[in-house]
Amino acid sequence: MKDKINGILSEVKTKISEAANENELQNVKSAYIGKQGSLSLLMKELPSLDAALRPEMGKLLNQAKNQVTELIDAKRMELKLKASEVSPDFDCSVPGTLPPGGGLHPITQMCYDLNDAFRSMGFEIFEEDEITSEMYAFDKLNFPQNHPARESMDTYWIEGHDSGSTNEKLCLRPHLTGGSVRYMQTHKPPYRFVYPGRVYRNETTDSHHERAFFQYEALIVDKDITFTSGKVMIKSILSKVFGTDVPVRMRSGFFPFVEPGFEIDMECQVCGGKGCSVCKHVGWIEVMPGGSPHPNVLRAAGLDPDEYTGFYVNIGLDRLVMMRYGVDDVRLFHSADLRFLKQFR
Amino acid sequence: MKLSLSWMKDFVNIPEDMDLKKLAYDLTMSTVEVEDVEFLARRFDHMVVGVIEKIEPHPNADKLRVCKVDIGNGEIKDIVCGGINLEEGMRVAVSCPGAVVRWHGEGEPVVIKNSKLRGVESFGMICASDEIGLGDLFPASQEAEILDLSDFDVPAGTPLADALDMNDVLLEIDNKSMTNRPDLWGHYGIAREIAALYNLELKAIKPFETDVQSDFKVEILNPDRCRRYIGVEMSGVEVKPSPYQMQSRIWKVGMRPINALVDITNYVMLATGNPTHAFDADNITDHIVVRHAAEGEKLVLLNEKEIDLNPDDLVITDSEGPVALAGVMGGAKDSILPKTTRVILEVANFEAAGIRRAALRYDTRTEASSRYEKSIDPDRCDQALALSMQYFQELYPELQVTGYCDQYVKKLENSEIDVDLTWLEKRLGKHLTDEEIRGCLERLGFQVEMNGASMHVTAPSWRSTGDISIKDDVMEEVARMYGYDNFQATAFTTAFTGAINQKDKSLIRNIKEYLAVRCGLQEIYTYPWMNDVYVNAVLQSTEGVLKLSTPPAPDLSCIRSSLLPNLCEAVAKNERYFNDFSIFEEAQVFFDKNYSSPYDSTESLPEQRRHIGAAFASSVKDVSGLFRETKGVLEYMPRYTHMEAFTFRKEEKPLWADHVVWLNIYLGEEKVGDMGLMAKKVSMECGIKNLSVMLFELDATKLKPLKSRTNKFAHLAEYPETDYDISMLFDSGAVWNDIYDAIVGQKKASALLKDASFVDEYRGKQIPKGKKSVTIRLTIGSDEKTLTSQEIESAANQVMKKLGKKMGAELRTQ
Repeated sequence: MKDKINGILSEVKTKISEAANENELQNVKSAYIGKQGSLSLLMKELPSLDAALRPEMGKLLNQAKNQVTELIDAKRMELKLKASEVSPDFDCSVPGTLPPGGGLHPITQMCYDLNDAFRSMGFEIFEEDEITSEMYAFDKLNFPQNHPARESMDTYWIEGHDSGSTNEKLCLRPHLTGGSVRYMQTHKPPYRFVYPGRVYRNETTDSHHERAFFQYEALIVDKDITFTSGKVMIKSILSKVFGTDVPVRMRSGFFPFVEPGFEIDMECQVCGGKGCSVCKHVGWIEVMPGGSPHPNVLRAAGLDPDEYTGFYVNIGLDRLVMMRYGVDDVRLFHSADLRFLKQFR
Repeated sequence: MKLSLSWMKDFVNIPEDMDLKKLAYDLTMSTVEVEDVEFLARRFDHMVVGVIEKIEPHPNADKLRVCKVDIGNGEIKDIVCGGINLEEGMRVAVSCPGAVVRWHGEGEPVVIKNSKLRGVESFGMICASDEIGLGDLFPASQEAEILDLSDFDVPAGTPLADALDMNDVLLEIDNKSMTNRPDLWGHYGIAREIAALYNLELKAIKPFETDVQSDFKVEILNPDRCRRYIGVEMSGVEVKPSPYQMQSRIWKVGMRPINALVDITNYVMLATGNPTHAFDADNITDHIVVRHAAEGEKLVLLNEKEIDLNPDDLVITDSEGPVALAGVMGGAKDSILPKTTRVILEVANFEAAGIRRAALRYDTRTEASSRYEKSIDPDRCDQALALSMQYFQELYPELQVTGYCDQYVKKLENSEIDVDLTWLEKRLGKHLTDEEIRGCLERLGFQVEMNGASMHVTAPSWRSTGDISIKDDVMEEVARMYGYDNFQATAFTTAFTGAINQKDKSLIRNIKEYLAVRCGLQEIYTYPWMNDVYVNAVLQSTEGVLKLSTPPAPDLSCIRSSLLPNLCEAVAKNERYFNDFSIFEEAQVFFDKNYSSPYDSTESLPEQRRHIGAAFASSVKDVSGLFRETKGVLEYMPRYTHMEAFTFRKEEKPLWADHVVWLNIYLGEEKVGDMGLMAKKVSMECGIKNLSVMLFELDATKLKPLKSRTNKFAHLAEYPETDYDISMLFDSGAVWNDIYDAIVGQKKASALLKDASFVDEYRGKQIPKGKKSVTIRLTIGSDEKTLTSQEIESAANQVMKKLGKKMGAELRTQ
């Protein structure tokens, strides 16, 4: 009997270790310790044994049965941990589900990226109201009374406030720079601030001209600043936008509110400066005006131009974003068309 | 402005091997933007002068003929042509295969190929002037007239560009880049700048001298408006074509040749930048007087427009009245006429602003006015006079000067500026030697006196018209001549006194990022003006709304006092493509009230605030889902964006809102916004078809950012808490606020109750009419021990009992 038990035990151990799934394991279980299982059958033979052997054999049998149960349980756990919760034909290539689909406007995104860059250089963020007087739109910026720019920047005047002297005439701001004077009037130098905002021109629109567009102005005013410091500001803006160091050049340009004034060009990002239709084959693209604030502008802000100077740039964000992403129609920015806006994350 | 390189070479010795790309680059970097460099001859590639040897009829077409054309090198080609002025022996312009032409001078450019015309092989094309872009230089007198080049004595096969002197380079300058430099408006001015840039010799213009004595005179009555007026009376002239070189140069830079007398005046203006004018001397009675127009005077301009003169206008007059609007346009009656034989040449200097006012007043901006209005120095008259007289004498050998008068009543003082050299070095960020500084300035015509620590600079007359007036201007001249590329970028240094902390700016950004990133709304931008349709539908009144004087369109005159009209328009526009979306906008709004002067006491600005508005639109969600989504976005906004919390009240229904679904948003006792369901009528008027729309609008200016994050820490529960859901039947009109209040209000329904939250509510099957079932989740726990299930149930029973007593709620049994 002892031999039989040991035979069965070694047999059942092999069977258990060979069992590949729960089903086979169940079969092993019923074949050995089920009602008709071989160990259970041996148990039935016990009464026919010599009485002296019975206790020992009974004990052995019970031990064997327990051992088998334990082995089966252990194997069951092993199988369970090995198995996947799903069937093997689960398709991992189906697309994921979309998280809630919101987003910031691409120009807001760019604006915030720039704010972060400038804040890291100690610039404040300034915002100002969009309706301004002609006095701040032009007079304080050294635009002579008859300067053509007063008309060429065709301004949206406010009904009922469109005549009289320049402090009485109100308009939607045609640029941000007048607001910078307001900042300087109300803060103590030195200044370093950026001033993002929307400006308005009464123009005919097409794919490259808009009535409302975004400017980003950066101004630093301090003692002993040279115009060459401006290059650092310009590079900060462009490398943030384009993600790489973009070659820039400053060339002579005229704007009444700066002296000296610059047109600032960047290397064409489409052709890498080789010349293409986007840059009209010159390899450079005009991106912003800049310069040192004109002494009269500093005076208008209550500063002594012999003591203070600075550098200013004003960049058109719409154009930059268009260049960055290859957007070919500026009117899309104000279209509120979700098919367009949802492309920018 | 277009410039001809060969013309500039009249004034400066530009080396033959000059790299024109570099010239354009250098001019762009230091002076004006060169937008284009055009090699003019390329327009005439594959075009040659041909001589028509023989003309034969076309076998298949009456209007066409077949010409045998000598195109040089002994080649005779058949060319089919429909020209009406073809003659044997005629020199013509032949476009060979590869040339680019425009059919009849219109439409897209076409590349010429060998082709068959009505069955006859034709080699290229015999061209009319407008087909090869020469319509203005050789105007055709009738249709289908071929360009007759018989006057050009060149052999057959001569490239057309050579024959017509088109081997020139045109520089296109951006006018905007030189509005502040009146001295550059002309070939002479740019030549002078090139001479300075490269240290080249500028050729002198020999001054005009005369010793004529006569009683011819000019009078200037208003020297403030006219510093100088030179009149030259001449006889022995006639109206005839000007020489080809003069015509072609005028044409190259974009004007139209007319006749020799007019061409000389235009040519001199293009060369020197100083406009000139010629009157028919026989029509000038007595002498010329420059004065303000008198009340009631009229003048018919050369463009046939009759104007009623304004006393602010400066006019050129004779004893009979005005003959020209000074500096803008001549009069029709007294300028050059076909029969003119005697002229009075005007070379004058007018004050800029006055010219500008006159040109604007009569909407007549001319080549002359656009130059005068930039302020020309009066010394330039000398160059213009000298060149004019040189051409008059060349073109009319019989010419006699019968009168001359130079009234130079008000000289321009040269700008003199002292510049501190330490200041200059500081601003340049680089030390330049005295000699370097002197070199930069003297090349530009400045006089420089070095006085140790400073220098005294005298600007040349042509830079003293306002352009150079302060030391910063001098610094710019030094920097650009030294070359902006030669200054290295330098870092700016400023002491940091503390971290930038702008709570208000951060709050708006936090809200926008919360809406976009956490709540799934898409930000939109719209214009500040609103369409009347949406104004009427949403605002229902334009009281207190500011308007534009000249709106983009008649129905877009209102500028926004609320963001909602444009949001509704955006919802309507997007409905075509989306059935479930949410959008927001953050922008400024304007009110015709509460005018204030925050910066300058003489200014008066209207009230302007920043709003944040949003629309939740869906045709798939039910109203209660949409409502809870919107309210949830608002409820959690203060918590996630770190501002003071707001509350909801029902005080005043927004005009656009549904009668039932709306709330006012309050911060303390101040209303900061509204939310609500867009009323059906409003939706319909906005053209929204199937979407339900929830709106909210907040006045962001009123929101109060917290000084810092205000999260609160509570100890983690020591003993487990249990969620226990109960469903009870309430009267259909019962509101959650009351239910909540009854459970965890002032007196908690059970001491073991930690909190209660709304799960859902249900009306319908199995619920008696007039009732609703509300499922409430109770959080039950103790700080002292783990509760038994009996204790939990007993706490829940206390809640149910209280709800029954206070609100008549019954346990839902089914």
